[in-house]
Amino acid sequence: MLVLDMRLKSVYKIPNGKLLKVFLDYDPEKNLIKKISITGDFFVYPEETVELIEKELRGIRVDKDVLLSKIKSIIEREGIEFIGLDAEGLVEGIMLCVA
Amino acid sequence: MSEKWRFLLTPDRTAFENMAIDWAVLKASSEGLIPPTVRFYTWKPSAISIGYFQSLEEEVDIDICKKLGVDYVRRITGGGAVYHEHELTYSIVIPESHPMIPGNILKSYGRICGALIKGLKHLEIHGKYAPINDILVNGRKISGNAQTRKSRTVLQHGTLLLDVDVDKMFSLLKVPSEKIRDKLISDVKQRVTSIKHVLGENISFDEVAGAMRTGFEEEFNVELVEGCLTETELMDSKRFEKDYFSSYEWNHRK
Repeated sequence: MLVLDMRLKSVYKIPNGKLLKVFLDYDPEKNLIKKISITGDFFVYPEETVELIEKELRGIRVDKDVLLSKIKSIIEREGIEFIGLDAEGLVEGIMLCVA
Repeated sequence: MSEKWRFLLTPDRTAFENMAIDWAVLKASSEGLIPPTVRFYTWKPSAISIGYFQSLEEEVDIDICKKLGVDYVRRITGGGAVYHEHELTYSIVIPESHPMIPGNILKSYGRICGALIKGLKHLEIHGKYAPINDILVNGRKISGNAQTRKSRTVLQHGTLLLDVDVDKMFSLLKVPSEKIRDKLISDVKQRVTSIKHVLGENISFDEVAGAMRTGFEEEFNVELVEGCLTETELMDSKRFEKDYFSSYEWNHRK
């Protein structure tokens, strides 16, 4: 049987930060994010930008460098401030889903 | 003469009312309708609040909450899940531009927690701010805090534990696995404390509230003048309660 998508989850404690839980709908054939939910007890200012990050990560390749540069560019463009979370930790959480 | 801020005391509200009032006050402040406001409140029935970014079903055992009559609500602030039972909850709403509020978010957490620490001093308790968002007594957490900034206005709310029932708390919250439940509960019991535990005796809500009110007045060099919610705030809070905090869509959005 051909598996076209998978629902994956990771739990990752950000070093010196909070607990990140990522839920990932993943297309293993193309190695792409179909849908992502970024959850946890961290703080993000403004809060609504997490939904924006989730939206903009759809269709993105699950690759450490690609994800990091994409997330960093959104953070810079939107002036997002993370507390208890960072771009590197978020990428780690996503990569753990597919590890 | 010191600046006058509004002080609200609203005990025994539901989780949905409490979260709606905080948001309505934030909105009123952002529209320049009210002075900076400090509110003390309690929760009836007791309730779990989860952070804005948390997954409800991941954190909360909804069936047990329903069985025990415990409400649950998603906050507009980030941070973690909290069981609100024997505690004083505060909120402060103030324009971002107010000279008493540091522009830097972490520094402003520290500043507002400073009010609680001054309040604790009046109860002869030595509290210490522990970044990001906790206050510790003897190395144990007695207060958790969460802040949002919207429309150039700061809302920070937080808890001060009067007493704590870690076993009950963990019956309502999900744990990663049943195997580690006992270990987790004993760890948290070591890491959390309460005013009752520190003082070794029961102390009334009113006495704690009096001390905290003085703490806010001292930290910000203001006079807190007892007031009430405006008509606009009441109307907005009813609307927020219905459209957001008591709705399935809001609470289950993650």
